[in-house]
Amino acid sequence: MNYQGRILIRRGVDVVVTVVIAIICLFPILWGLSTSLKPTRDIMAYPPKLIPETISFDHYRTLWDQNILHYVMNSALVSVFTIVACLLIGSLAAYALARFRFKGKGFVMVVIVAVMSVPISSLLVPTFSFMANVQLLNTRLGLVLLYTAYELPMAVWLLSAFFQTIPVELERAAMIDGYSRLQTIRRVVLPLSRTGLVAAGLFVLTFTWNDFVVALVMTTNDSVRTLPIAIYNFLGYYGREWGPLTAGAMVSIIPLIVIFVLFQRYFLSGMTGGSVKG
Amino acid sequence: MFRQDKVAWGLVLPFLAIEFIFVAVPLGIGGWMSLHRVDFLVVKNFVGMQNYWDVINSPAVLNSLLLTAVFTFFALFFTFLSGFSLALFLERDGRLQVFGRAVVLVPFTISMLIGSMLLKWIFSREGGLMPLALQPLGMADTSILADPSNAMGALVFNAMWRDSAHAMILLMAGLKSVPLQLYDAARVDGAGPVRRFVRITLPMMRLPILITCVRLILHFANILTFPLILTGGGPNDATNIIGLQLYRTGFQDFRLGIGNAFALIVFVVNIALIMVVIRLFRAKEESQA
Repeated sequence: MNYQGRILIRRGVDVVVTVVIAIICLFPILWGLSTSLKPTRDIMAYPPKLIPETISFDHYRTLWDQNILHYVMNSALVSVFTIVACLLIGSLAAYALARFRFKGKGFVMVVIVAVMSVPISSLLVPTFSFMANVQLLNTRLGLVLLYTAYELPMAVWLLSAFFQTIPVELERAAMIDGYSRLQTIRRVVLPLSRTGLVAAGLFVLTFTWNDFVVALVMTTNDSVRTLPIAIYNFLGYYGREWGPLTAGAMVSIIPLIVIFVLFQRYFLSGMTGGSVKG
Repeated sequence: MFRQDKVAWGLVLPFLAIEFIFVAVPLGIGGWMSLHRVDFLVVKNFVGMQNYWDVINSPAVLNSLLLTAVFTFFALFFTFLSGFSLALFLERDGRLQVFGRAVVLVPFTISMLIGSMLLKWIFSREGGLMPLALQPLGMADTSILADPSNAMGALVFNAMWRDSAHAMILLMAGLKSVPLQLYDAARVDGAGPVRRFVRITLPMMRLPILITCVRLILHFANILTFPLILTGGGPNDATNIIGLQLYRTGFQDFRLGIGNAFALIVFVVNIALIMVVIRLFRAKEESQA
């Protein structure tokens, strides 16, 4: 066979393999979307239809009646505050690691690696006892503080790698012009690090928006519960009624997908590790 | 670089304070509570190592340890294999690869709860798709999640479906750091693709592979969401892995003294696991050197 023919076949195999990968990855989600849009009687229909014959928003209305918006707001609030805290505290620490040689730097690195490798599940029981003692159970603040503690190491890690790519000369110039160290960070370093900040923010967002385990343990009061916990409770409440359950899944997935489509560029560059460039 | 200890410490202090208060202090309190009898948050008398003995002597814990080892082994094996294949296949920067990467990332970016729930719907006996797909094989009546070994298989599939991207990202970062000249040189010397992979890619990737394995093992050995949602630990505790058992001891039975002892044992086992994996890699490296 000639060379061009072989390239064509290879290309064809690549396309087929990619399509198979896409089907495996996306199918459960698309099937959930399809289920959420079917009227209840069609959900159990045999044989199942992949594309709903009649589109119905009944299940989304059911969620609306269950006050789903309240849980979405809780999740959004907790996520936003956690992101702000992680970026604020994280960029200070990351700056110190990127720019200073100081006594105890090794210790800080150990803390970062240690916290990143501590499994949260083994922290849950003691943390529950602790949060109960300091009256932070059942509060959004409690969740924000815990999420910040769990996600900060990752944020510091990413941001510090990013700060290292910014030329020191810019800062020297700013300080000669009379900026203090903090002013330099705020006026020079942070504006130049937008990509890094967005990437780190997205990391924190996926954790806080999706977290189920920490919120499950630390909240028992319905008024502070986040979206994943609400969906988990639906799982008990609706049992095998897959209409409202899959609709809930879509409410959780869609905002994240929208945000990722908007910021995709930043995320992929952040994902490939510390080598992010502006 | 600048050398100013005080300024640097001022900058890292908020970070260290948060980690101290919300990670170190709870661990300390947990250690203290693990030595006492605790009735629903009220710490009673000191009992020494009693809670630890209770955990170690519990058949349920031993059963879940065994199940965790089985689950972690298979989940690691399949996830690593598929993650590595994906990394190799999607490494280049063509349009197809960028699309492929974005698609693989989707299960990883949605919540574990949601992912497990959607898979549960597919595996479900009533109206689920999987039983229908199995019908031609004469297995229509088998409910996947009701059979112990199938349920474990479903759990492993859940792990692989979500975390292949996890492995892929870490390994892809490693692949990018292998100098391309090495491949060119090998090609000139007449080495085929398999030989190039075994002789160049694998040795150069030792550290990324180690990091990936450690992260996946820690993740799988401590997982709670997959079994809680997908199988509920059943049937007959066949998927009651350690994360779930720990959750039940602490938050369904509210035995916080024992729960804390259990958590600390899990914590120590985790550290031991990391060290063993690193040792294994070191030993291999030395034997090759």
